[in-house]
Amino acid sequence: MDAATVGEVLKRLGLHSDAYLVVRDEEILTRDVRLKSEDAVDVIPVISGGAPPRPFPRGRGA
Amino acid sequence: MRCIKCRRPANVEVRRHRSAFCAGCYPGWFRDQVERAVSHDRMFTRDQKVLVAISGGKDSLALWHALLKLGYQADGMYIRLGIADYSRRSQAKSEAFAEKHGLTLHEVDLEGDAGFKVPDLAQERDGKPCASCGTVKRYHFNKLAADLGYPVVATGHNLDDEAATLFGNVVHWQTDYLGRQGPVLESTHPKLVRKVKPLYRLAERDTAAYAVIERIDYILEECPMAKGAKSLEYKDLLNRLEESQPGAKHRFLVGFLKQGRQAVKSAEPVVLRECASCGQPTTAEVCAYCRMVERGKRKAAVKAARYA
Repeated sequence: MDAATVGEVLKRLGLHSDAYLVVRDEEILTRDVRLKSEDAVDVIPVISGGAPPRPFPRGRGA
Repeated sequence: MRCIKCRRPANVEVRRHRSAFCAGCYPGWFRDQVERAVSHDRMFTRDQKVLVAISGGKDSLALWHALLKLGYQADGMYIRLGIADYSRRSQAKSEAFAEKHGLTLHEVDLEGDAGFKVPDLAQERDGKPCASCGTVKRYHFNKLAADLGYPVVATGHNLDDEAATLFGNVVHWQTDYLGRQGPVLESTHPKLVRKVKPLYRLAERDTAAYAVIERIDYILEECPMAKGAKSLEYKDLLNRLEESQPGAKHRFLVGFLKQGRQAVKSAEPVVLRECASCGQPTTAEVCAYCRMVERGKRKAAVKAARYA
């Protein structure tokens, strides 16, 4: 992982850049930031979900 | 990468807008987007009191935070769904946020109110209670808002949620749902409160970045019951597309709202009446929630007997 950018690290981990934030020392990093081998970063998932939002459907009650 | 506003090193890139912002400029951009959605879709005004549906997650808390910073009057509402530790932690986050900012948070206890918890509602088909959980939330948010006289309920549904829902409705050609999908669901009955989604143009990543920068303490983990849910599969597919075509999700959703929705909209209005059991608006004799309560009670009783 030496001298890789944030974007490259996500790619190597097989993670979509739209689904994660990479944070170092409480600072969010953009995908072009080059990481040093001693850097400790948090990879925070941003996806949430379960039931999709639904309007009141016809014929099924609400 | 540099901030497009002040040229300092950027922290958050918004690829679909070909923009990037530093931590200082980003919250202002985010709130501008919320303000734009609220005024563009005529969601509510600063004279109206809004009820925000709170889950303890990043979207609902970021929405509540942004609305207050923008000068809107917003109270919160949280439903205790009874999903074990997850519910306890999300309740604690919601209450802590309300306390920190001196806000009103209404709470509904599903087990106390209806005699069952969301895990009791797992479908036999896929073992998931997500669809029933959605019914529970819609019912209680609407009922509480109507009972307390709030003219509008705001939810934290974001661009990814809306694009995934649209995708699912297209895959299954659910034209009834497609015709009604949008950032504003108008009230068509005195007991049906208007629903709005002020974050519908902001991606999930945008709200997470806002929460991190504004130091909003939200529940990071996913609902344990949602694992393997179809909506998550659709989000993954759309994110794959977004990776190679930045802006695809936005174009898909906004294009549908501008051009596609009209084509599938039914000319006949939905006739709502009051549920014979609870009096809430419904299209059926007895509403989906009341039918579910009966089912949930039966399942909870069977479970209790099994472990007695």
